[in-house]
Amino acid sequence: MKSKLKRIINNMNLARVRFSIQLISFALFVYGGYFAIYLGSKLPIFACPYNGKSAGACFLIPLQHQLSMPAQILLGGAGIAVIFGILTFLFWFIFLNKAWCGYVCPFGTFQDWLTYLRKSIGIRYSTYTQHQFEKLSKIKYILLAIVVLVPLLIGVGALGGEWGAAFCQICPARIISPTFSGDFSQWTIDFSTKTSMVLTAIGMVFAGLFLIGSFVKKRFFCFFCPMSALHYIFSKFSFVQLRKDGSKCTRCGDCYAVCDMQIKDIADDVVSTEILRDDCILCLKCVAACPEDDALHFDIFKLKAFSSTKEGFEKRMGIAKPKGDAHDKHTRA
Amino acid sequence: MTSIQEHKQKHKIETPNEKQNRHKAMEAIKVLNTLKEGFKEPPKAMSYFYDLFEEVYCHQKALHTDKVKVGTMCIQIPSEIIYALDGVPIRLCNGFYTDDEIGSDLLPQKACPLVKASVGHLSSKNLTDKPDMIYSPTTCDQKTKAGTLISSFGYDVVDVDFPRTKESEISREFFRRSIRDFSVDLSHKMGRKLTKKNLRASISKIGYAQSLYHRLSEFRKSKIVPILGNDMFIVTNAFFFDKLDNWIEATEKLVQELEQRVKENLHVAGKVSPRIVYTGSPPIFPNYKIPLIIEDSDAIIVADETCSSNRMFNDRVAVDEWFVNDMIDSLADKYLKACTCPVFSKNDDRIRRIIELVRSHNADGVIYQAFAGCTVYELEQRSVLEAMEKEGISILYIESDYSPSQHGQLSTRVEAFVESLKIKNRNRK
Ligand code: SF4
Ligand code: SF4
Ligand code: SF4
Ligand code: SF4
Repeated sequence: MKSKLKRIINNMNLARVRFSIQLISFALFVYGGYFAIYLGSKLPIFACPYNGKSAGACFLIPLQHQLSMPAQILLGGAGIAVIFGILTFLFWFIFLNKAWCGYVCPFGTFQDWLTYLRKSIGIRYSTYTQHQFEKLSKIKYILLAIVVLVPLLIGVGALGGEWGAAFCQICPARIISPTFSGDFSQWTIDFSTKTSMVLTAIGMVFAGLFLIGSFVKKRFFCFFCPMSALHYIFSKFSFVQLRKDGSKCTRCGDCYAVCDMQIKDIADDVVSTEILRDDCILCLKCVAACPEDDALHFDIFKLKAFSSTKEGFEKRMGIAKPKGDAHDKHTRA
Repeated sequence: MTSIQEHKQKHKIETPNEKQNRHKAMEAIKVLNTLKEGFKEPPKAMSYFYDLFEEVYCHQKALHTDKVKVGTMCIQIPSEIIYALDGVPIRLCNGFYTDDEIGSDLLPQKACPLVKASVGHLSSKNLTDKPDMIYSPTTCDQKTKAGTLISSFGYDVVDVDFPRTKESEISREFFRRSIRDFSVDLSHKMGRKLTKKNLRASISKIGYAQSLYHRLSEFRKSKIVPILGNDMFIVTNAFFFDKLDNWIEATEKLVQELEQRVKENLHVAGKVSPRIVYTGSPPIFPNYKIPLIIEDSDAIIVADETCSSNRMFNDRVAVDEWFVNDMIDSLADKYLKACTCPVFSKNDDRIRRIIELVRSHNADGVIYQAFAGCTVYELEQRSVLEAMEKEGISILYIESDYSPSQHGQLSTRVEAFVESLKIKNRNRK
């Protein structure tokens, strides 16, 4: 019975399952407010509260607000609130690890939909060269530093109040997310102060870049997302993990070929067991595309919840007995 | 004068090609008869393969008269692309001593017999399915050079650049480019285009053929092994030149028969026959010298790591978005990154594969054969031996060639090794 269930799971059509989960999550975090669902403001995803209809909010906004409190207050009792905030964030995070990105984040899902659009038009995706990849992948840490340091600088008085929630001002999700519920008000530049003007102008540029970038490159924004960087700091504490058995890996590169995030280690590293990398969105496409039994597996605690198998691979890649001389007909056409 | 004329009238003088055919037929039939009669009950489905080899190598039957035949000098030319363009890939690696001798006049005495035989065969122009063009990946030195030599016989030979290291990102990009150029060249020659549809269909078909091989391998993991290693070599060897649809059909039948055999507990070897993983220079029909000695010495080959068998079927292609260029890139990655050929600077992946095969197939030992003159396999012998020692896996290294001599000395060594494995097993119990 148990092995039968395992087989069903390992043979599943991951793309379809994932699409459905993403669709439901998207509805929840873009329109959930209409049904009075609210999961709090410490979520590890870009469920942006600038869209008033979200069923929960991105943790980066309360984090920035709390950190920008005057230093004395922060070092006094308010510090507890920050810690409590981080703990709540962690509470959510440990259930899904980076799968929040691969399955739940509406902003991530939106990028996947732009990918479907591109695909259906028949345009091939672009990739970074290894050199570009290494350089660009540091940007998310710089953005995370902005999220944390700018509010602290406000707190000690080094920066003015117009720097409040600085990252949000440049975040493309602030501009794009409300659009889904028909609110276009964020598509403007705030001229109230010089700082706001510059920051919101950058935000507009980022939003434009986001739309173009995500169209040509899979998960264009996630690669730069500070939330992803924040995830990675805590990723070890999660119950769910992506693991690899290098002895079973042939380095065929199938997993790498399907990885939206171009994570090379997933194929080339045959030593590490813990194979979750900072850019990973835990979409599990690699597990679904690996043709070796148990080489890659998604674990809940120590239990293999979804493993790569030969059989599952064959099912998903459409490897089937050729019908008649279908092949010949194709090539003669 | 007169006596010669008389002689001519009595016996038609044999042309060199006829002589070559006769000698090759003798080599072929000897091996086929041993397989058919020398062992306990070969599966009935094997007769398709025995007959195929007999027709092709004893009666010079051509299989692909109506198709464009694309010769390949190594496994790194994606057959998926050739089939998609409606050609037939013919792997030109050769195992005949007769051809080896012809090639000996064209290459250094100490060259690899496989290369000599392939070159000899092509120089004779005596081929049943003569390739219309040949693609030669620049793998080992001898094969690389052989390509140019072969083109001097009048064949259309295209070198396909192949990197000699595979860890670097440059090599990935390099081989992707190389395979793209190959497809453009072939598509130009065939006068048809690679399309999303034909390439995907072809990947799926080869994938299915591979999945049949994987099912055969699965049987060999269990205690009851329903098929000999030598028969497996015949099956995979047929993939070099057979009509793909026929091969698939015959192999499906074999899979079914083996399923039945497992149910009946039919084990093709003895109860205590040691289980062997075979690695090294590829056994190519009819040079099954070492595999035959092994299975004659009461051992059974349960898996192999060779380019004439496992390496052709093991690795498969995955694609995220099925555009032509994505498929080509993924094919290129598979043929380069997963390849365990010893031509690469590092041999780690090959060692890992051997260890994995030993573990998954519960093997008792490894037999590593290198052809005398096959430099890369000779070179890597040391690294493999060291790694096996570290893992506590028994291994025997033997050098051999295509000549029918030295049989006695080789069997003695293999028998002694097999005996030592038996003793080890007994002591463990
Ligand atoms: S990395 Fe992508 S999916 Fe994850 S929170 Fe950021 S935008 Fe969302
Ligand atoms: S603007 Fe961006 S960082 Fe700020 S709350 Fe919205 S999604 Fe989070
Ligand atoms: S797909 Fe599997 S076998 Fe291939 S490189 Fe990735 S982990 Fe290794
Ligand atoms: S490594 Fe695997 S789970 Fe992570 S992003 Fe790439 S394909 Fe998805």
